[in-house]
Amino acid sequence: MNGTQAVVAKDLRLLWRQRSGWLSAGTFAIVSVLIYSFAFDLAVADVRPLLPGVLWVTFLFAGIVASGNSFAQEAEQGTFDAMLLAPVSRTSLYAGKVLANMVALLVIEVAVLLIATILFNTSLLTLELALIVVVGTLGYVSLTTLLSTLGSRVRSRAVLLPVLALPLLVPLLIAAVRATGGALGEPGGGAPWLLLLGVFTLWSALGSALLFPLVAER
Amino acid sequence: MIEAQGLSKRYGGVAALDGLSFTLPDGSRTALIGPNGAGKSTLLALLSTLAAPSDGTASIDGLDVAAAPPELRGRLGVMTHRPMVYEELSPLENLMFFGGLYGVPELHSRAEELLRAIGLWLRRDEPVEVLSRGYHQRLALARTLLHRPSVLLLDEPETGLDEQGRVLLDELMLRAPGMTVLAATHRHDRIDSWADGVLRLERGRLAEDWTALALPGVR
Repeated sequence: MNGTQAVVAKDLRLLWRQRSGWLSAGTFAIVSVLIYSFAFDLAVADVRPLLPGVLWVTFLFAGIVASGNSFAQEAEQGTFDAMLLAPVSRTSLYAGKVLANMVALLVIEVAVLLIATILFNTSLLTLELALIVVVGTLGYVSLTTLLSTLGSRVRSRAVLLPVLALPLLVPLLIAAVRATGGALGEPGGGAPWLLLLGVFTLWSALGSALLFPLVAER
Repeated sequence: MIEAQGLSKRYGGVAALDGLSFTLPDGSRTALIGPNGAGKSTLLALLSTLAAPSDGTASIDGLDVAAAPPELRGRLGVMTHRPMVYEELSPLENLMFFGGLYGVPELHSRAEELLRAIGLWLRRDEPVEVLSRGYHQRLALARTLLHRPSVLLLDEPETGLDEQGRVLLDELMLRAPGMTVLAATHRHDRIDSWADGVLRLERGRLAEDWTALALPGVR
């Protein structure tokens, strides 16, 4: 088993044992969609132009609620240092963290898409939308995992992660919202935005993987 | 062999370590002493590759610690006053995870051997969080020895251990043959029982070096 596989297996086991953090993020996401559905039902006839924004704002905050804990607990228990001492590349440890966080966030996102499909009476379970969500989530999680490493050793980490992450995520969110709009048949979205989303995700994943060994050092 | 030449570490403008130079031969057992804030933990963090020096060099078995090559990290066993184990996982799951990272051969039997040695085999499947502090530290001892390291860097390892745990610490680490040991400790009364050399730090500087006696042929 290499470093990445070992970290993914261990993190998924930990995520299952510490369900409270991810359950609260999932509950937050589902309640948000429920509130949006009631608000828009009264205000507008066609909710589809609003759906991309609803979905990505929900994904964004659910991810921030959940991923802040990813490294915080490792830092508190000292296990982050114990992992860094192992004779595996630090990039492989980072990749394991990203993959485990991504799986957990994707579970929440699938639940949100299912509920939104019912509440907004619009099919959101399409292959194109699934691709956009997976690519966007990879870009998002790559960056927030790096930033939560950076913040794991400071006391005000709960504030630090959103303050650092939100400005950096603006290009990704704009591309994700427009690409999602295109997938739902809205004008002005489509391939160029999906391409931009892919480029940002690639930049975010590669840049974060390169920076992680520096950020992890004391 | 552990060697340091002009080793320094600064955090902002504050020097945590200031120009340390020493040599610890293979198989030596050195106690690292000094008051709180003397730089003991910083020195161990530098040698264990968790922090990079601001100036100077350090090497273990000829491998530069600043480059932190995996080959070097595989030789080190690091134990601190914090157990560095996952409280939500069981003792066996902890050892299987860390053993996987180190590529320990025949991992399950090695984990069983260590868990039996530290008295945790019968509680191997309970979450660590339900175990006492002393057992956390015993598990840390097992984690540290899991990959059969040749160099032990210990930072107040006796913290939280009861008398039986301290006996295990002595048997498995401090007096075990074939390992080079550098251990920070405040238990000066126990140093005589295991150490053959002492480094005393004060305000980040090497105040006293009684390790020369440990050089081959001089002892």
